[in-house]
Amino acid sequence: MVFSIVGKPTPRVDGFERVTGRAKYTGDIQIPGMLHGRILRSPYPHARIKNIQTAGAEALPGVKAILTCLNTSVQWSSGDSSNKRYLFNNPVRFAGEPVAAVAAVDKYIAEDALELIEVEYDPLPFILDPQKALDEGAPRIHSGGNLFQGKPYLYERGDVEKGFAEAELVFEDTYISKLVINAQTEPRVSVASWEGGKLTVWASTQGITNCRADLARDLGLPLNKVRVICHYMGGGFGGKNQAQDLDLIAALLAQKAGRPVKLELTREEDYMGIHGRWPTTQQYKVGVKKDGTLTAITLKGFSGLGGYSKGPFRPGAIAGARELYRCPNVKTEVYPAYTNVLCSGNYRAPAYPQGIFGVESFMDHIADRLGIDPLELRLKNFTTSGDGTLPYTTNLLEESIREGARRIGWKEKWHKPGERMVVPKKHGIGMAIGLFPSRVGMGAAMVKVNADGSIHLLAGVTDIGTGAKTVMSMLAAEAMGVPLEKVQIISGDTDVTPYSVGESGSRTTCFTGQAVLDACEDARKRLLAVASRMLKVNAEALEMKEGRISVKGAMEKGISVEEVAGKFPDAIVGAGLTDVQIEEMARESFAAHFAEVEVDADTGEIKLLNYVAVQDSGTIINPLTAGGQVIGGVVMGASMALTEELIYDKATGIPLNPNYRDAKVLTHLDIPKIEPVFVEKPDPFGPYGAKGLGEACITPSVACIANAIFNATGIRLKELPLTQDKIVIHSS
Amino acid sequence: MKSFRQIQARSTQEAASLLAEHGPKARLIAGGSDLLHLMKARILTPELLIHLKTIPEMGSIREEAPGLRIGALTTLRELETHPLIRQRFPLLAQVASEVASPQIRNRGTLGGNLCQRPWCWYFRGPLFQCLKKGGSTCFADSGENKYHAILDGGPCHMVHPSDMAIALVALGSKVKIEGYQKERTVPLEAFFLKPLQNLLKENILEPDEIITEIHVPQPSPQGKTVYLKERERRSWDHAMVGIAAILAMEGKTCHHASIVLSGVAPTPFRAAAAEAVLKGKEIDEGMGLKAAEAAVSSVRPLRHNAYKVQLAKALIKKAVLAVL
Repeated sequence: MVFSIVGKPTPRVDGFERVTGRAKYTGDIQIPGMLHGRILRSPYPHARIKNIQTAGAEALPGVKAILTCLNTSVQWSSGDSSNKRYLFNNPVRFAGEPVAAVAAVDKYIAEDALELIEVEYDPLPFILDPQKALDEGAPRIHSGGNLFQGKPYLYERGDVEKGFAEAELVFEDTYISKLVINAQTEPRVSVASWEGGKLTVWASTQGITNCRADLARDLGLPLNKVRVICHYMGGGFGGKNQAQDLDLIAALLAQKAGRPVKLELTREEDYMGIHGRWPTTQQYKVGVKKDGTLTAITLKGFSGLGGYSKGPFRPGAIAGARELYRCPNVKTEVYPAYTNVLCSGNYRAPAYPQGIFGVESFMDHIADRLGIDPLELRLKNFTTSGDGTLPYTTNLLEESIREGARRIGWKEKWHKPGERMVVPKKHGIGMAIGLFPSRVGMGAAMVKVNADGSIHLLAGVTDIGTGAKTVMSMLAAEAMGVPLEKVQIISGDTDVTPYSVGESGSRTTCFTGQAVLDACEDARKRLLAVASRMLKVNAEALEMKEGRISVKGAMEKGISVEEVAGKFPDAIVGAGLTDVQIEEMARESFAAHFAEVEVDADTGEIKLLNYVAVQDSGTIINPLTAGGQVIGGVVMGASMALTEELIYDKATGIPLNPNYRDAKVLTHLDIPKIEPVFVEKPDPFGPYGAKGLGEACITPSVACIANAIFNATGIRLKELPLTQDKIVIHSS
Repeated sequence: MKSFRQIQARSTQEAASLLAEHGPKARLIAGGSDLLHLMKARILTPELLIHLKTIPEMGSIREEAPGLRIGALTTLRELETHPLIRQRFPLLAQVASEVASPQIRNRGTLGGNLCQRPWCWYFRGPLFQCLKKGGSTCFADSGENKYHAILDGGPCHMVHPSDMAIALVALGSKVKIEGYQKERTVPLEAFFLKPLQNLLKENILEPDEIITEIHVPQPSPQGKTVYLKERERRSWDHAMVGIAAILAMEGKTCHHASIVLSGVAPTPFRAAAAEAVLKGKEIDEGMGLKAAEAAVSSVRPLRHNAYKVQLAKALIKKAVLAVL
């Protein structure tokens, strides 16, 4: 298909507003009479609250409303997928859990008021380690026990016993990943205002409609009495799905005070109060033939959920062992456990980068032990069907691996581990493969063709930083045959825009994008019907392109879209509601990543030198924003691989480094050139052939860097993050 | 942050007299990159902030034979870029260029850098009432002590966070201190206090005293300087171990060595044993190793920071061999 807009690198339609500071983010919202909220958080990882005295805080001039578990029994339903979670719980289950909230005339008074709230705690025994949380006699965090829903996640295909019997060699090892935080630029923030019985919340959310549904459910309001607005967002990465507790708290404070309330988390609160990526312990056993053919894979895994199971979909899962290889015999059992630490929830490809770190590190290790080039091991075994049965809609893993190898110079650069030295640096190269499903559904859109031919595109998306506004506009412009400038997108307001599941699950381009095309098709049909009457030609004989409707093959016999639309005082409206789910096929986005590192032989200093990320995401609608997503995914993965971890003090259960500085999110100076590469083959089910992208691109990155470090040093680090001290200790 | 009053001081004497008058309720502020952090976490809740940046004479860099006088308000960015510093003391320019991040270097001053409070996460964590905050426990002692001291630690195991300090100590700098109606000049090396000397502060400043100037003597022309900083990120990170070394060389022979380490002790740590090993010796790999071994002979690593011993040794050896 020949496109005029799709596939062209296109700057963001809202880029100017974003970089000039004119874009109004949630934190910029000011409403006359607005109060400021602050949250008091538990200093204990597990404690029963015996009493709360708020009299002192209430007496502080400027304080307008105080909420605690004593006067608020509102549930936060999206805060836990299997237990009742209230806004203020008793007992509290992690250090940082909200205990009370204050609204005051400014945030400093609100903060002073927090100091005046007297909470009497009865500290309870606590447990930080997921595996130990399942031991008999471990402190019980929920009445149903510490194992999420009382049973592990099980998956099995083939017969692993048979597979191990067929194996010529069997390897076993354990890999460990740590709790890391989404760390998006914009801290979570909410502004709530009531007018009559209607609540408006300016949220920083990845899904306005889900946020609205949660608020309505938890506050007992009909959907049409809740409006959620989010026009600009500074990143979410899964951390801003659904309604957060602060959205509800802001709404309740505003209701109680009778004035609008802004509640903005500090960076520390944003780190220690909401959720991060679940930490895992992964015990693998892999059977293999000497030629590298995999015969069996088993995984026994443990993951830490924190005090509540916040992820809406299989929290604590560990992906990779089941998905990456066409090994016929696979068995995984994963035990998600409650712990007294910050919750784990969705974070960019929730179960994948940590799981793939384990699987792909281990495959790299096995290739080394077999004396096989790790790239060849992948080419020999990579997945060719979903769960061993479902054919993929498209799968360019092999092309991705070969293209990446060519670009990084694998043949020339790969060597036996620890054997290439450019004194005093050891050089290493590594690779890993990854994937992420493209199947979180439902999208809706409306297209209005105005009387002057200009177009309003209404889409329920929030542009969380991915460039969704731009991509949706490009799809509409392409479908309607108009220049991009003719399309004005309206998004991020539940009173105005149609439904979207939320900008998560790598779904926006695929699903809302398809809805945009359907809405355009609907509008096009209506335009053609009108034109048909005007031209006195059968509608089937007409086509619409370059802003004109004309008889097929005869552009001169036609009229402009403006003339057709101008027949109506307002607009011709087209609508699309799409849920493209395919049962009989698997739809995945694939990735093959390659990294070069150098490691100082004396000091263990690790430096990332070069990175090539090859993605199979079908047709790329906007290479510019798509490239940005890939670079961002790799940076997050590199950070998780090399430095990041939220560290808890074991004696007190308090997080020690809840901030950018100490949790060590990588900086620009740590990031080398990252080359995003797209191998494109249109997916038969996506809009113009698109598949998902935003999450597939982080999935192999952690393993890829770990493998490059192994190739440089010969040291296999099995516990994240792969910090310099660990290299030093292993070397000495 | 608690609300506070602020005064823009016009002279060091005005600032000193305000300090004398208000005692610990008042705090000095220059760049604020350290103080504001402590105030936001409510670890410090001063009622009065005394701004120093309005004092004209405190931000100058001037030659004074044989050396330089650097005003305490000189920003790290100025140290990094000032032509006099770059020509005459490239070591200082290099050290400054590797401090924190460009934003912090634009704000942060030399005086503030030397007077930083510890960045130990127990000290900075508002929920830990540690020794330095008047409590009875050093949580790092048996806690998460990866970034803590391997030398001179106890009962508090902080490491001194200043990068500038090790270079200035290695250069034999002096610090001029003004108090209310008094002033004194002391070697920078004697400025810092170990936890055993005083748990609640890291230097000798009395409540009314201000660092106003650093005097850096001109190093000998044979002096070769090396600075290495190991950190987990290339920007905005403290040293796991850092080293500033000045070796006076004649050919391959070292006449005099001055080696100071950061990230290993509660004060800038002079590796005197390593200096003694090197003095008068011909430098080669074996000698580098010997010096490194000597420097760490009295280490007492904690549970999670034994790697610092290896790292310190590697850096000393690297620095010594770098002068060849």
